[in-house]
Amino acid sequence: MSKKVAMIASNGGLFDAYKVFNIATAAAASDAEVTIFFTFEGLNLIHRQAHQALEVPAGKEHFTEGFKKVNAPSIPELLSMAQELNVKMIACQMTMDVMSLKKEDFVDGVDIGGAATFLAYAQDADVTITF
Amino acid sequence: MMKSDQILNAKGLSCPMPVVRTKKAIDQLEKGQILELHTTDAGALNDIPAWAKTSGHVILDSREENGTYIFMIQKG
Repeated sequence: MSKKVAMIASNGGLFDAYKVFNIATAAAASDAEVTIFFTFEGLNLIHRQAHQALEVPAGKEHFTEGFKKVNAPSIPELLSMAQELNVKMIACQMTMDVMSLKKEDFVDGVDIGGAATFLAYAQDADVTITF
Repeated sequence: MMKSDQILNAKGLSCPMPVVRTKKAIDQLEKGQILELHTTDAGALNDIPAWAKTSGHVILDSREENGTYIFMIQKG
């Protein structure tokens, strides 16, 4: 039986996106069943427009060159790769309401759920990761 | 010299791409067939054996040639 990986993404910056999607795609590529629960600013990472416009934080501009040097994939590339590898993505309903976001604001294939939805999945997960 | 059934050129790619590309390539093979991976990612030295272990594949051989790491991976 494949391993279950449960992830929470609660931050919405470019570095957060790399952390979340790198681990998620690596896990899915290792045949794990992966679910990510996106909450608060983490919703940025699956927002239709926002995930394409993530920027290196002020004062960290030197990272831009580094990302280029190592030929790092873009966040949209990583996101679609994660979806291709069947990573399941759940957007937190409560935060969506707080931020006035609708299902249509997110990339296709995102499910909506609450804390209980994530917990039901995570309670027998082999690995749990929070970013 | 060991013969591979398919060669994957993942040179110049960084984590997690070598692992993702390797997974996609090995999905196309039959059990027992051998994938030859070429990568320049130093992280792959540990990542590919770890990935193979979790995914049930076997590293038959690995070597370095002029900064390129070459893995012979048998599909499990």
